[in-house]
Amino acid sequence: MNIILVSINHKTAPIEIREALHLSNNEIVDFIGILKQNYLLEGLILTTCNRTEILGIPKNTILIHDKIIDELINFKSVTGIKKEHFTSYFSCSAVKHFFSVAGGIDSLIIGDSQILAQVKEAVQISEENKFVSYYLNRLFDTAIRVGKRSIKETIIGEGAVSISYAAVQVVEKVFANLYTKSALIIGAGETAELAAIHLRNKGVGRITITNRTKAKAEKLADKIHGEIIPFEFFKEYLHNYDIILSATSSNGYILEYTDIKEMMKKRRYSAVCIMDIAIPRDINPITSNLDNVFYNDIDSLKMIVDQNIKKREKEIPVIENIIMEEMVNFFSWYNSLDVIPAIKNLRSFFEQIKEDELNKIRHKVTEEDFVKIEEMSKRLIGRLLHNPTLKLRQLSENGRNYEETANSILLIKEIFNLNLEDK
Amino acid sequence: MIPVIHTLNIVLPILYLVTFLTYVYDFVEDKSLFRNAKRLFLFITILIQVFYLFARTIEFNHPPITNKFEIFTVLAFSLACCYFVLELITDIRGTGIFILFLSLVFQIISTIFIQDLVSVPEVLRNRMLGMHVISALLGYSGITISAVQSLLYLMLYHSLKTKKYGLIFNRLPNIEILEKLSFNSMIIGFILLTISIFIGIVWLPEAFPNFSYYDPKLITTALIWVLYSIGILLKLTSNLYGRKFVNFSIAGFIIALFSLILGNVLSSSFHTFY
Repeated sequence: MNIILVSINHKTAPIEIREALHLSNNEIVDFIGILKQNYLLEGLILTTCNRTEILGIPKNTILIHDKIIDELINFKSVTGIKKEHFTSYFSCSAVKHFFSVAGGIDSLIIGDSQILAQVKEAVQISEENKFVSYYLNRLFDTAIRVGKRSIKETIIGEGAVSISYAAVQVVEKVFANLYTKSALIIGAGETAELAAIHLRNKGVGRITITNRTKAKAEKLADKIHGEIIPFEFFKEYLHNYDIILSATSSNGYILEYTDIKEMMKKRRYSAVCIMDIAIPRDINPITSNLDNVFYNDIDSLKMIVDQNIKKREKEIPVIENIIMEEMVNFFSWYNSLDVIPAIKNLRSFFEQIKEDELNKIRHKVTEEDFVKIEEMSKRLIGRLLHNPTLKLRQLSENGRNYEETANSILLIKEIFNLNLEDK
Repeated sequence: MIPVIHTLNIVLPILYLVTFLTYVYDFVEDKSLFRNAKRLFLFITILIQVFYLFARTIEFNHPPITNKFEIFTVLAFSLACCYFVLELITDIRGTGIFILFLSLVFQIISTIFIQDLVSVPEVLRNRMLGMHVISALLGYSGITISAVQSLLYLMLYHSLKTKKYGLIFNRLPNIEILEKLSFNSMIIGFILLTISIFIGIVWLPEAFPNFSYYDPKLITTALIWVLYSIGILLKLTSNLYGRKFVNFSIAGFIIALFSLILGNVLSSSFHTFY
């Protein structure tokens, strides 16, 4: 199969190069136009923060990976990019790589939950730009199935693989009904925002933001439908919160042991989760000695992340098996496409013989007899070809018996000396 | 009927072992095949044990409470049964192995030593005594399960405090749930213990001429009942929660266990049958 794929990803190029070649949705549409015009019959462009992949069926049999790479570099007008930053795939290897991407095992974070949605979006853009037809449609459907099966049949997407999500995982091990709990987020930077979003998605009842710059706190509070309290007074309200998550860029501790001890006293020592995900730390780690204080910092949360990554890595062989199964199915289907031209050629071959023989006797028999002979030869060919046609059609319909199909077609080609046209 | 009883006596520990192993496998493995099947195994085991206990009652014409090893099979059953009800109510399946292990041990001991007693003291054939003992056993099963859940709470608490995120962290439900499970089991146990005491107080004076309210077993049971009622009251008024509550549950269980043992050792009263 004439599928080609060029890929630049986290394994082949540093982030600044990947960023330089990242395509926006509008750029994808424009670049599809160039590919359609010059190189590919049909194809797809997948671009994420970690990869840009171009897959397609070339217009002719010449390998055009390098041309597509040059075209992409020219299109983005970037310099300093080498061919070594790209990997090229052809046929089976292209399909396998694409399925690995869709299955999440080629991602920077194995089992990345975003990738399947990104593949679907890329397929949609190709469809909208009429860049997909019969063959790649089937390939894309299969790739999406690989992604879905990976999520459903394995634990590749389970467990926290980011610090902020690991913090939420610990919170869930302490509290049962998060909607009855309240959380205080100290800081309004990127990490704090991510953690706040995770907590909101998990259904935490009340989320309050406090930050030195009030405007930033307000912005984040708006985004997650939370509240704010002034940074100057937040210590006075600590006891109202079951979850305290701190992610500021402060150089020293903003919460000391005595602050937490006082807070616990006010809370009548009911459990509290303290997640210090700042570097350097915001909360004195000695607070973890207090009863019912579940304190975690980046190091302890990273242990959870590492553990989950190892678990995900163990699933890779299972997903590789899924990919292999789907590849066998896909190529069986593809190879079974030979059946239809084979049936057509076989019928034409017999029709031709019939026509030749009828022409030979056309003037040797009466008109009435010729009609009878013509009808008889038509019936004869029909009956002779009935079983072979039926059998080949059956093979074509189920698309599973690749070897049997290929052998049957080969035999027919050889014994009748047929030349099948390419698909 | 006797061959059936003997066969079931052999089959029951095997069923408990299979059920226990499915719970272990599911506890250790992510997305195991036995996530739903293990509950079915437990249900079948309980069902067969119900049949076995009824068969013994009918065949030997007395409830299976006339000796320690009959008590052990009833104890295995009541633990499994209480846990099963708890699992059905809460749909929390991560703590089964710790409770079913006890059922397995009790059933194995029972299977090895149990005898077919036909002649037993007449009083042991009484249905009221059967209800009294079985409700007491179910009650003690409830407080045992409560103590096991509390122990799991402390294990998870320790895991969270020391930041050891292993199997205990990954498989057990959160500590709030464990506290809830422990409290629910305690409530079930307390209600059944109350029923048992009630039956005992109503029926025992009639059945035993030498009945005495100063019987050590009666006094210890009453003390256990008072202890748990205070604990439950404090929990309901939000004065006993978290680690304090689970410590109370474990302490209560240990006190109950030692009281029972002491009561049995010291007592030679009407309340001793075997």
